[in-house]
Amino acid sequence: MSDASIPDDVEPDHEHEHSHHAEGPGYATPQAAIEESDREKLAYVMSLYVGTDVDAPDFVAVVDIDPDSDTYCKIVDRIELPNRGDELHHFGWNACSSSCHVEGLERRHLIVPGQRSSRIHVVDTKERRNPELVSVIEPEDVYEYDLSAPHTVHCIPDGQILISMLGDADGELPGGFLELNEDFEIEGRWEPPGEIEMNYDYWYQPRQNVMVSSEWAAPKTYYPGFDLDDVEEGRYGRKLHFWDWEAGTVEQTIDLGEEGLIPLEVRFLHTPESTHGFVGAALSSNIFHFWRDEESAARSAADEASGDEPRAADGEGKYRAEKVIDFEAREHPDWDMPVPGLTTDILISMDDRYLFGSNWLHGDIWMYDVSDPSNPRRADSLSVGGTFGEVQEVQGRKLSAGPQMIQLSLDGERLYWTTSLFSSWDEQFYPEEGERGSVMLKADVDPRKGTLELDEDFLVDWGECPAGPARAHEIRWPDGDCTSDVWQ
Amino acid sequence: MTGAPSHDVRLEWPDGRTRSMDIREDETVLEGADRVDVALPFGCRTGACGTCTGRLLEVDESDPADAGRDSGAGAVEAAFAYRRRPRALKDRHRDDGYVLLCIASPRVDCRIAVGSSVHAELVENPWK
Ligand code: FES
Repeated sequence: MSDASIPDDVEPDHEHEHSHHAEGPGYATPQAAIEESDREKLAYVMSLYVGTDVDAPDFVAVVDIDPDSDTYCKIVDRIELPNRGDELHHFGWNACSSSCHVEGLERRHLIVPGQRSSRIHVVDTKERRNPELVSVIEPEDVYEYDLSAPHTVHCIPDGQILISMLGDADGELPGGFLELNEDFEIEGRWEPPGEIEMNYDYWYQPRQNVMVSSEWAAPKTYYPGFDLDDVEEGRYGRKLHFWDWEAGTVEQTIDLGEEGLIPLEVRFLHTPESTHGFVGAALSSNIFHFWRDEESAARSAADEASGDEPRAADGEGKYRAEKVIDFEAREHPDWDMPVPGLTTDILISMDDRYLFGSNWLHGDIWMYDVSDPSNPRRADSLSVGGTFGEVQEVQGRKLSAGPQMIQLSLDGERLYWTTSLFSSWDEQFYPEEGERGSVMLKADVDPRKGTLELDEDFLVDWGECPAGPARAHEIRWPDGDCTSDVWQ
Repeated sequence: MTGAPSHDVRLEWPDGRTRSMDIREDETVLEGADRVDVALPFGCRTGACGTCTGRLLEVDESDPADAGRDSGAGAVEAAFAYRRRPRALKDRHRDDGYVLLCIASPRVDCRIAVGSSVHAELVENPWK
């Protein structure tokens, strides 16, 4: 590898031997990310105390995952945030491979929102092992745009940052999108208000001028915890929205129905030409494949030419969605009703060959071959943690919850995960998670054979944090990862 | 300093720890606790997330404003003034005496159960 001899503390040199066609951040293509990247040595992990009696703010953990290091599997630095009560959840980079062409831009700042507080932090990772908090956008400044509950952070290809927001200033519907400028100040609302009611995750495919967004619920609905009454009353989402990326308007909405309840993580394939993607419906525990149906696209283009209403209704539009994987609920002697898998996270390997995911309640990590995206083929799975997992402890450390947020190495050979979902939901389903703290675990992946193997030597324990056990959530690598890089 | 009237509020944690403090009518219980460096759990501070939930245990019987009441929705209404709508609580929670301490200001002397476990009582595992 090109910079295996460079010690960690040396400022990263993004240009070193990378065959960039431009001077910007990231890699020229997904294939370049696989071939040119070095093994991940540090992980940034959202870590939280919100909702516990530990009187400390949430923090960003810097985790050493370099097997040659003395501090392997240790939290080597903690960026403490200025306030308590944030609930750090998802976060993102100021720039990724989508800005590969933008000279002078660096993948250097992490945008770290508080899900509960609506406070947005900016962390400078110039010193990779000792990142620094550089600025904070206070909740009141976010509420001014009638938005709250920041979720997914992606950069826009020309230096701005877009954040999906799940609620209005009062924590009710509708949500929307907040845009930050290159100086990490609020630019304004990205979309004309009223395009969507519910919001959650999103992903864009600029070469196709499309963005897709999914739906959780109003913050006031999911913040306190999960209540089946809310599901019955239709307060949880089940729709996918396909946007005109340039215009910021919804072109098509697909209702996934009862089998698509609570569509959370949504991913397009990495290949910028592709219009295929997947979404995990957490509550109904299904995976939907979506894709642009060229025939119906041609038909609707003809309709538009003839002056018909361009905004398509369900099933009439250019995009289609179809359930392709179904995880069945399982009976458990201690539970009154069959237990759903609760498919809370998915990701696609950088070569677009495998779809990985986690079933948090069952305690499964799974891997499907999606070479043919409409016919995923199960490759392997691991039964670990959760309600049914075969492995319930690692290195003598009891696991409190199932696999939740997952992250894959750029070369597709190492899959990592943490175990906390959302503090109030953790309390409901895995109360021990708050008492023991989360863990980060790892599986070795063989992409050629399509297998997963738990690495029992790997364990990072948030139960040992100085202020008390903490929860751990989303994971990012300094050089980009399978859930944040997009190509222009 | 303001001249707003205040009330004696006693916070009680599940581990038996207690703390009495004077909380003014123009500040919330969370703000009052913060003022004297007592840490209570919170998240949104707008009444939407429920992280700050406490449970009203008792109102001071000698307070004429609330003679004869104990816990429950009526007691919560009499004991606190909400700054904004308590959106994180459902009717059943309000009936059971739960109160959002980030937006509630006291109107009587009272005792409140606090700590993160109070919030956890609001939501049960629906499958178990
Ligand atoms: S802190 Fe969110 S409801 Fe009080």
